Amino acid sequence: MHKKMAFSFPDEVLEHVFSFIQSDKDRNAVSMVCKSWYEIERWCRRKVFVGNCYAVSPRMVIRRFPEFRSIELKGKPHFADFNLVPDGWGGYVFPWIAEMAGAYPWLEEIRLKRMVVTDESLELIAKSFKNFKVLVLSSCEGFSTDGLAAIAASCKNLKELDLRDCEVDDLSAHWLSHFPETYTSLVSLNISCLGSDEVSFSALERLVGRCTNLKTLRLNRAVPLDKIANILRHAPQLVEFGTGTYTADVRPDVYSDLAGAFSSCKELKSLSGFWDVVPDYLPAIYPVCSKLTSLNLSYATIQSPDLIKLVSHCPNLQRLLVLDYIEDSGLEVLASSCKDLQELRVFPSDPFGAEPNVSLTERGLVAVSLGCPKLQSVLYFCRRMSNEALVTIARNRPNFTRFRLCIIEPKTADYLTLEPLDVGFGAIVQYCKDLRRLSLSGLLTDRVFEYIGTYAKKLEMLSVAFAGDSDLGLHHVLSGCESLRKLEIRDCPFGDKALLANAAKLETMRSLWMSSCAVSFAACKLLGQKMPRLNVEVIDERGPPDSRPENCPVDKLYIYRSIAGPRFWIEAFMRNLLGFSSFDLKNECLRHDWSGNIIWRLFKALRARLPYVSPLPELSGTPRNELIKRWKLRLLCNQSKYVGCLSCSHYTSMQLYRQELDQTIHAKVLSKLE
Amino acid sequence: MCMELQLGLAPPGSDTWSRPLLKLGLYEDINVNSKKRGFDHGYLEDEFSAASFKNYEKGLVGWPPVKTWRRKKLRCQVHNHMTAAENGCCGGRASNSTYVKVKMEGVVIARKIDISIHQSFETLTTTLMTMFDIFDENRRSFKLTYQDKEGDWLIAEDVPWR
Repeated sequence: MHKKMAFSFPDEVLEHVFSFIQSDKDRNAVSMVCKSWYEIERWCRRKVFVGNCYAVSPRMVIRRFPEFRSIELKGKPHFADFNLVPDGWGGYVFPWIAEMAGAYPWLEEIRLKRMVVTDESLELIAKSFKNFKVLVLSSCEGFSTDGLAAIAASCKNLKELDLRDCEVDDLSAHWLSHFPETYTSLVSLNISCLGSDEVSFSALERLVGRCTNLKTLRLNRAVPLDKIANILRHAPQLVEFGTGTYTADVRPDVYSDLAGAFSSCKELKSLSGFWDVVPDYLPAIYPVCSKLTSLNLSYATIQSPDLIKLVSHCPNLQRLLVLDYIEDSGLEVLASSCKDLQELRVFPSDPFGAEPNVSLTERGLVAVSLGCPKLQSVLYFCRRMSNEALVTIARNRPNFTRFRLCIIEPKTADYLTLEPLDVGFGAIVQYCKDLRRLSLSGLLTDRVFEYIGTYAKKLEMLSVAFAGDSDLGLHHVLSGCESLRKLEIRDCPFGDKALLANAAKLETMRSLWMSSCAVSFAACKLLGQKMPRLNVEVIDERGPPDSRPENCPVDKLYIYRSIAGPRFWIEAFMRNLLGFSSFDLKNECLRHDWSGNIIWRLFKALRARLPYVSPLPELSGTPRNELIKRWKLRLLCNQSKYVGCLSCSHYTSMQLYRQELDQTIHAKVLSKLE
Repeated sequence: MCMELQLGLAPPGSDTWSRPLLKLGLYEDINVNSKKRGFDHGYLEDEFSAASFKNYEKGLVGWPPVKTWRRKKLRCQVHNHMTAAENGCCGGRASNSTYVKVKMEGVVIARKIDISIHQSFETLTTTLMTMFDIFDENRRSFKLTYQDKEGDWLIAEDVPWR
């Protein structure tokens, strides 16, 4: 009966129905219904999301989805934002670009997060995809303005270029001039991360002037205040605007110019930038404040009174990012003025100071949770907290979906009772039934994890630091949190037991990060051996883990599910080539034996990622030198175009392998550099 | 060395552990290694894990969890407010890149390091040592030098960190 129904619709009809389904999760669910739906769905999926670029290989993605137009990839683990992931770890996008360039000339959109993007990658994008429209690079690094110039010059249909929080090598401000005079399709430009001594203002103004569809423009700090008025006048249709530096000598003509320019922008809903703010110039934005829904003042080092004045002018604010200069008093005003507030982020102005420099405490958060009925997402840095406040917050605001609290000093107890904050966070997970993301801080015992395991059934991401007493804590989370996808832990006394007992759970998650915990190398090896669909990666900058007893805790551990197999071959190899810190390949490839097929596997894995590898010669019986001569690898990663040479033979010891490799590489590199 | 570690392959959510774990003194049941006693003892006495708490005082890596670029940009601004003279990374329109090229004698490839995330020569040296693969014992035989505006090479530790 059911079979008949499935076949009663022609494919085109099903395809049409599926086209209304955009969400990735739903698409995945659709493809699991039956084989024919899987087939139909895979041909018509237009947007692909890969949450961990190492969970799957580019080739696998292309094979399954032959006609996608848009791809989103994420690379490094979240803790890379805080310098916990060493340089050279990975996340290189080039192999993906190279594969897609071959298969997909019609790719339109690329969105990357925490990946290493090189100028070569950008040049390849510019060259390969004729209808390329959207490039969003979020927290990426490894490229320079040369790469951007290539994009600007070649992508005639580019609509969106968004470089949020990237580390860009500013070689020349003139990359902007590479947009041809005929180019007018820009809709969104975010260059706020760029440094540059100068920005070519005339090029910028001309670009802004001729792109009449421009809706989002976020400038970088180098654009001075007196240039903003002109730019705004060229683009009164802007919906989102980020200023450059917001400082200048206070002059009435500059002020009125600026105020006038802002008032001509009737569509403006979002403002950001505000570096080096001079408070006298703030009122210039008052004309647009009543329509603002999003305000990012997280770089504005102005004091509470000015912030309060500003915020009181924005009754429709839905999203506010601000420094802790706003203080409790400012948050109380916010709570009474901005009833539509959905997201609040309060950043520390002096994160490393021992003493508080501002009067921002739990009171501010309590006020906002009470006064803002739509508040669902909070990121809050403060220096003290109490269980009482947390319980109040939880009761006030059960609609939290994201709650991230960072009490700056690790292991800070409840300042009123000196007890751990278990009960407070327990209340959060108990009352906020839709909580999807939680970050813990303060003094916490295993009890808080018991609460989390019991109540946080919808929790998808949990960040833990300096918390817990024993493996029981980790066990509660892994066994209780049914929706858990990402777990990141640092400096907690969690060891082998909980991890191994819940090994199967790890396959249901995207990833687990544990650093400065108590997981032994032996446990890592065991896990790696028993769980073939998990990549168990040990990062230990003290040196190879087997130079220490097996029961020693590893420094950092990153475990993620993958159908692409271990990636260490490539990244460790790259690291060795470029002289990065020592990874002992033998010890990191936890699941492979060292007899026979090493080189073949290495080659296959490399070829899956780097298309420039020359054909593999016969392995057996070929003299080593001959093999060396014939193997040349073009390694394109974040440093530059090095020509490397893969030594191959059946080495029994990794030390020998690395030595030979180093010598050959250095010789090659030297000759290339001449 | 025989490790009595058990791999739990029960499906996630099934609480096969509930009973043993509620007992106190759990770790006495495990015969891992004569060195490993209860967690507290084992963890703190282990010289290698002690190392991870070395930075507990000022200078914990990645704590508080403020993104690197945000910290950099904020630090530049705070400096702006405090002093007029700039050290190259801050000041009005100057490039806000705080990356510095580091080269080790005898190594072909130079590296880049972000100065602004370090607060002392100690942490800088440690990072550089790991970058260039120098082991702790050899630390003394390496000297950190920098090139000043006039192109002269000076010993870094002679000058205060600021």
